[in-house]
Amino acid sequence: MKVTFAHMGNLWITVKTILEDLGVEVVVPPRPSRRSLEVGVRHSPEFACFPLKMNIGDYIGAIERGADTIVMVGGVGPCRLGHYAQVQAEILRDLGYRAEMVILEPPRGHFSALLDKIRYLTGGKPISRVVRALRFGWEKLYALDCLDRALVRTRPLEAVPGGAAAAHRRAVAAVAGAAGVEATRRARDEGVAAVLAAGGAGAAWEDDGEAGGGLPGRNGTPLRVGIVGEIFMVAEPFANQDLERRLGEMGVEVTRALYVSDWVRINLLLDTLRLRRRSRQSVVKEAASPYLGHFVGGEGLESVGETVLYSRQGYDGVIHVAPFTCMPEIVATSLLPEVGRDLDLPVMSLFLDEHSGEAGLATRLEAFVDLLARRRARAGAGRATR
Amino acid sequence: MSANGLPRLGSGAVVGLPRALLHYELYPFWRVLFERLGLKVVVSPPTTRDLIEQGARRSVDEACLPVKAYYGHVMALRDRVDAVFLPRLVSLLRGTYTCPKLLGLPDMVRHNVGRLPPPIILDFDETKRGSGLGDAALALGPRLGRTGRQASEAVKAALEALGVFRAALWAGLSFEEAAARATQGPLADRPGGGPSGEALRPPVRPTDWREPAALNGRPRVALVGHAYNIFDPGVNLDLRRKLVGLGCHILTSEMLSHEEVQAESEAMPKEIFWSSGRRIMAAVRRFRRAGFVDGIIHVISFACGPDSMVGEIAERETRRESALPYMVLTIDEHTAEAGLVTRLEAFADMLRRRRRKTGGEGP
Repeated sequence: MKVTFAHMGNLWITVKTILEDLGVEVVVPPRPSRRSLEVGVRHSPEFACFPLKMNIGDYIGAIERGADTIVMVGGVGPCRLGHYAQVQAEILRDLGYRAEMVILEPPRGHFSALLDKIRYLTGGKPISRVVRALRFGWEKLYALDCLDRALVRTRPLEAVPGGAAAAHRRAVAAVAGAAGVEATRRARDEGVAAVLAAGGAGAAWEDDGEAGGGLPGRNGTPLRVGIVGEIFMVAEPFANQDLERRLGEMGVEVTRALYVSDWVRINLLLDTLRLRRRSRQSVVKEAASPYLGHFVGGEGLESVGETVLYSRQGYDGVIHVAPFTCMPEIVATSLLPEVGRDLDLPVMSLFLDEHSGEAGLATRLEAFVDLLARRRARAGAGRATR
Repeated sequence: MSANGLPRLGSGAVVGLPRALLHYELYPFWRVLFERLGLKVVVSPPTTRDLIEQGARRSVDEACLPVKAYYGHVMALRDRVDAVFLPRLVSLLRGTYTCPKLLGLPDMVRHNVGRLPPPIILDFDETKRGSGLGDAALALGPRLGRTGRQASEAVKAALEALGVFRAALWAGLSFEEAAARATQGPLADRPGGGPSGEALRPPVRPTDWREPAALNGRPRVALVGHAYNIFDPGVNLDLRRKLVGLGCHILTSEMLSHEEVQAESEAMPKEIFWSSGRRIMAAVRRFRRAGFVDGIIHVISFACGPDSMVGEIAERETRRESALPYMVLTIDEHTAEAGLVTRLEAFADMLRRRRRKTGGEGP
């Protein structure tokens, strides 16, 4: 059995770590590219959402390199992600590819069904071994998010762009290659220090255990923009046309509302086990409630709620990214203009797909950042733009 | 507005129902419910190009045609009603959701349609205990200041009407016929008057499509899709009439009973988790195997999320497992009449040719 999975940012490092630690042979698909996207678009339904098309490109690339089993997440709706597996299986079958789909999804009453799939993938390893592998994977996930966070912090401070990104690349490779929990932690700490060093004395760091939260040591100088939207589009630089890099190089400090490690730690562990007084979901839901009174699947409710929360934290603006035709984010984008008006917060929605041009995006981002800079300048002489 | 967030509506106040989206699945329920609660019901006028355009102007570009039409219908009600009913239809069937846009619809309307009459927003969710159609509707009465008894009688009558409506659809009646049967009839004490009584309710004609009579060479076409696309001539460019004009006999996905839908659905490796999507998928499978259906047309709104998935599975399965002609018709506010007619003519011609070749009933 040779297992593959779709790309989403650097998540492949975590998934590969977990599977290999369990003795599973892994085939990582080639990084998303114009070529893989073209393949995906050609074989996917026209109105499928963008992540599905990119997944198809990844799977075909991996199958051509010998993968025979695809692991992916499922779902119970109403977001389309929950039916990706069925549609993708149909497409691959009609193309004559033989690959088995193992779908990991929230159990509907039968938790044993999920365990059976894990047992199948791992060749019957005991649960304690699975837990150990997950623990190792978690360490990598967290390390990668810390590196990303250090990078977005440092980029706007660089005199010459590129140094922080190069340090980040080296650090990611070190984390990917780290052979154990301790080695991963060392690679993380050294990597974060190297990335921050590229920004000179301006970048500071405090490990508060929350990859996306708590931003200490800042004097509020760079413009701050929060990113909300559909999780794949936020996390996959190829899909969002390197949004974080573009903004960083314009001198903007970017914050992702939720890093994958935060999601695992907060939604999957803390709040599922009810270890906190107020769950993150309830905070976001309450923030969204004047505008949206119900979950709408995917990250639609989060996009609205997190925009409100960014406003309360004094952010200069919010960028909302979503795949073209994404249903939950169409609800969000219908409401965000009103949120922005009420809170006097510039919000820009970007619906992206295979037809989105690079020049168009660059122009829109420049105009948006200009707007934020002018507002900052107008807001007071004490807070200069840079 | 009263404390519970609902407008105060005395007896005889007028509540508006937008003639769009799930109106085509639930209209008799709403009508009887509100009338039994002592309100007058006004339904927005039939969909027109102009009404869609009005709605589209208030909507984000990314929204689908039926949602834009819904905005237009709400706008058409604005100056004519004391309150507008904006139900939040989360789930119509256990284990399913409608669609994310419908989950957010009341909020989208509230924040985008100006000069909105006081909205009645109520969540209906079959996935949650006590929030299903009947239970949620039961809570409406007291919140409008009616007694518990009035409320439960209203819900009972509304559910009865819905039952009549669905049975009529499953037997093969059109939306208008089924709705008329369900809302005109023994409701002798309906406020607003009008002739009533059992005698006026027409008997269901034995049109059961499951035992089809000979059609003298006319092809049988199965129209599958969301009820609001199949039934609203203003949205689908009068598709049904055009097909009938071309000599086709029409079956629709709304003609499957709940049990037929479930039987087909449970045979799938993973059941579709959208309420309408499950029906569409089941209809394609049922019609494909029926033996007497000559062709299937899946009517899809441009950029419809659920249909992009359900349609893909249904079409690939059908092409793999049968030789049945299968056409996908994508409609939006820019769909040109002439192009549509040409495609329908070509499809109908092909079905007739195939019929002659196989010589008789069924392909």
